[in-house]
Amino acid sequence: MLENHFSNANVSTEQLPAILTLDKQSLSEQYAPLNRVLNLSFTLLICLIGMALYFQSLIDLPKELLNSMPFVIFGIAILGFINTWYSHQCDKAKFYAIRESDLHYASGLFFRNVVSQPITRIQHIELKRGPIERKAGLATLQVFSAGGDMHTFQIPGLPVETAQQLRQFILQHKDVVKHG
Amino acid sequence: MDRQSDTTPNNIQNPADNLQISNDWQVLSPVAILYFTVSLFKHLFGNLIYLIPVLAVSYKSVFEHPLIWLPGILVFFILLTFFAFVSFKVYRYRLTVDSIEIRSGIFSKKHLNLPFIRVQNIKIEQPVYYRLTGHACLQLDTAGSAKNEAILVAIKLDFAQQLKTRIQSQIQHHAIMDPQQDNKSAATPEFEVESASRQIEHENIINQRNLSDLIIHGISSNRIWIFLGGLAPFYGKVFESVSEWLTSLGINITELFNLQTHSVLEIGLYVLSLTMLVVLVLVSFSVVGAIVSFYGYTLSKQGDKYIRRSGLFTKHEVSMRLSRLQMIVQKQDWLDMLLKRIDLKFEQTNSFSKNQDASASNNKIIVPSIKLEESQALIDDAYPNNSLNRLICNNGFESISKRFILRNIMLLLMPTWLLITFATLVNNKLMIAVLFSLFFIGLCALVVLRWKRWGIARDENFVYLRKGLIGIDYYCFPIYKLQQTQFKQTLLMKKRQLATVKFVLASGTLKVPMINQKLAYKLIDEGLYQVESSQKSWM
Repeated sequence: MLENHFSNANVSTEQLPAILTLDKQSLSEQYAPLNRVLNLSFTLLICLIGMALYFQSLIDLPKELLNSMPFVIFGIAILGFINTWYSHQCDKAKFYAIRESDLHYASGLFFRNVVSQPITRIQHIELKRGPIERKAGLATLQVFSAGGDMHTFQIPGLPVETAQQLRQFILQHKDVVKHG
Repeated sequence: MDRQSDTTPNNIQNPADNLQISNDWQVLSPVAILYFTVSLFKHLFGNLIYLIPVLAVSYKSVFEHPLIWLPGILVFFILLTFFAFVSFKVYRYRLTVDSIEIRSGIFSKKHLNLPFIRVQNIKIEQPVYYRLTGHACLQLDTAGSAKNEAILVAIKLDFAQQLKTRIQSQIQHHAIMDPQQDNKSAATPEFEVESASRQIEHENIINQRNLSDLIIHGISSNRIWIFLGGLAPFYGKVFESVSEWLTSLGINITELFNLQTHSVLEIGLYVLSLTMLVVLVLVSFSVVGAIVSFYGYTLSKQGDKYIRRSGLFTKHEVSMRLSRLQMIVQKQDWLDMLLKRIDLKFEQTNSFSKNQDASASNNKIIVPSIKLEESQALIDDAYPNNSLNRLICNNGFESISKRFILRNIMLLLMPTWLLITFATLVNNKLMIAVLFSLFFIGLCALVVLRWKRWGIARDENFVYLRKGLIGIDYYCFPIYKLQQTQFKQTLLMKKRQLATVKFVLASGTLKVPMINQKLAYKLIDEGLYQVESSQKSWM
């Protein structure tokens, strides 16, 4: 039964829907700034802990460690800022696209990556919302296929309403209704 | 517990009908305690391989303080048996007409209810300690997570066989009743019934491996290296005791390899023969391993189902419906190339074999060390209109970009080489620098070889992949089995119009690096189109 030819085999590749010409949908406007704030505060937190260790007198730290501490903190701060800047640029480059029968998610600035998930292969869907995401009214849509946990298709930073609409769209999709 | 035994049928004509279905909860045969003990032990220690380093560290103290250790080990085994006994006591199962229920668990109680129609895979396993009593384990897999599997731990072998036939006929029946489930819906119902009845009829063996094949498999498979790795903590000890033993025989190793008393040629010969001896011993281990897992190997086909049976001690039986096949892999290591043999793998969904590791027990159907034409015959049998053979003969594979070589050498190998050469030269260690440079050149040659092996081809229904280093592996999968596709590109690659494509299948992922961007888009667009337009199920 695998050898069943399907009736449409003669469509030329030029006429196929191409992932090069996707209708790009951007993530929530809050997503990138929120991530920037989170990244920055994380860097600041680590620097603060470092500084607290440096200036405190409760625990005796080895002399060498104490001497190199300012440089280490400085290094962490610089790396943190670069990382924040880079991931902010990355966040702005993220987008998703929905077509009639598949979902796409593109990310990466230097390493571009476009993941395409046919809806007919979806096993189940999850909406994930952490405490910060809940506060900001955001949600992450996770789509599981038989490709395994390593290849969970996910779109982060969606406004909750959009995420729920997407979920409904997928759940009511004829392909999922048929095969799910 | 003896209830199963009176379900033995008098006529084998239609065993499924003779199964006695009772609504009572049933207990297992006490032989199951053995199974529980063994599986508990396995569960605690994962694999014996992991135990080796622990033993290596602690065996000395075991010998030094036997009074502490021996009672400890004894208590441990008593506890193990006790828990196994309790597991046996709380285990109950119940068969109804169309489902099975299992209650188990000591601390966390589990109640599993599995309708037969949801069963995807049926496996009968007969560990060596069940051979005497004629019991077997029946394992039922579902498509869902690995947690959702049912194991009937100790039932009579013929009862297991009957149950299996029964479940299979139910699945078949369900497929007919519910045409939406299956793609065969296009066919007429009469045809379906006919095929269903034909399925129960007979089973023909399509491949068998005899002992000599298994010996070849043992030699060519790289089990040796796994074994070597596992032995690593013992090297020092082994060497010591071997040299002691040799000294007791009157052979002194240090004298043997003394350059002052022997010529270089002599020592060279000694080294060569010693290495040969060690390799011989290791190869024989590997051969024994291959024989243990693949003894009496048969691959047979029953209707659209492949069944693999093998094993010297524990007999494994794996069956897989053709529709569940995700990908065919034809592997040939460098030794296989010399011996002109091939390992053929029929891969199915990953999720079933997540917590199984031994090569013989997992759900892959592997055909070890077969000849080229046998392999082709099996591939053609599974995928009749594949063109793998033609592609291999005409070299119809499209190679990947030469920049693959450049990228790996320039970005990975070159910096490391420069750094180390610089460091060694600064420290005046010329010899090391030269050696390392030679090593570097060797690695570069391997990168070139790797590039040469990469290749991709496709036709109407299949995508073919060639890769390898010294050996060559071929991968072939039907396009509609795709689960997900990924398009990857760095800015540098974009400049050169190159891209990497990742195919995600239920059996794993396949990556093709650095192919033409146009081809990459084509592969993905066509793949998605086939998945979505054909509406074929991947299972």
